[in-house]
Amino acid sequence: MTQNFEVLHYAVSVVGKDRPGIVAGITEALFRLGCNIADSSCTMLAGEFAMILIISHPKPFNKTRLQDELKPVCEELGMSMVVRTLHADEAIRKESEGEICLISVYGADQPGIVYRVTRELAQLGINITDLATKLIGTDEDPVYVMMLEANVPDGETPEKVEKLLENLKKELNVEIGVRIVTPVSL
Amino acid sequence: MATQTILRYPHPALKKVCRPVETVDASIHNLIEDLLDTMHAGQGSVGVAAPQIGVILRVCVVDVSKSRNGKDNNHGLLRMINPVITARSGAAIMREGCMSVPDYTGDIERATEITICFDEPDGTSRQITATGFEAVAIQHEMDHLDGLLFLDRIMSVKTGLFRRKSYS
Repeated sequence: MTQNFEVLHYAVSVVGKDRPGIVAGITEALFRLGCNIADSSCTMLAGEFAMILIISHPKPFNKTRLQDELKPVCEELGMSMVVRTLHADEAIRKESEGEICLISVYGADQPGIVYRVTRELAQLGINITDLATKLIGTDEDPVYVMMLEANVPDGETPEKVEKLLENLKKELNVEIGVRIVTPVSL
Repeated sequence: MATQTILRYPHPALKKVCRPVETVDASIHNLIEDLLDTMHAGQGSVGVAAPQIGVILRVCVVDVSKSRNGKDNNHGLLRMINPVITARSGAAIMREGCMSVPDYTGDIERATEITICFDEPDGTSRQITATGFEAVAIQHEMDHLDGLLFLDRIMSVKTGLFRRKSYS
């Protein structure tokens, strides 16, 4: 008789000072545990390396075991770690039928650019799926660049979103562009 | 003829370099009908290449005339046998997805204008210059004839997903 059980997924995040071998160290521990890496994204900012992994295990498996196994590896690598259990309903990605847009924001650096833009988007019900910011330019003229991808709700158009951000654009004196990057199915 | 199942990677047919068609006979006409039926059955599909239905021959169909990106600039339905790109220029990046690699998308750079020579089902040769989305779609389908998937051309680690409902 087949035993029915709910396959749990875990969101594991690991952050620490960058060095060669972090990904190999963490994924070796996961491999030894028999975990599957479903989706992952890892990147380096300044000297910090951050990993976010969605992992699952084909057999019933608990969070404590996962943490116990990862802890010594993280300590050795000097990384901090957080593990969150995702229940079945959380491991479902909510899909939007609307457009996927890339929103670019850049201008003279000032406090609050990220907050003001994302607050506006949140109020419009626009869900951010990816976001990266970078401080560029010179010490005299620092320029802030933010690129984000977002799901625009059904019925909304990029033009409409751009128009709704018009006032903020003037107030912050930044450039804001909205472009469709919805994939083409071939 | 009939709608065929779109093969998905890792089916080996998708990584084969296809053979040129030697003679345009009834079997090729049937193949084209299958490709058209399969394309029309795929929601929003703008092209299908023969290896996607398991036939290792240099044949593909493209029709962007009903798509949002291509409706204003296209040559209608193209049935292409032994297509060859003879000139290409420009470059633009578009986020592509493929029926043979579901649940994944990536940013791909393609030429924005291409000239293609190919044989029609009636045996005549034709040359067209395609631009914009039609050019992208033709390059994508022709890549299939060389065993190339969009995964072989991704320009950035940043990739996306679509139509994937669950991790389970």
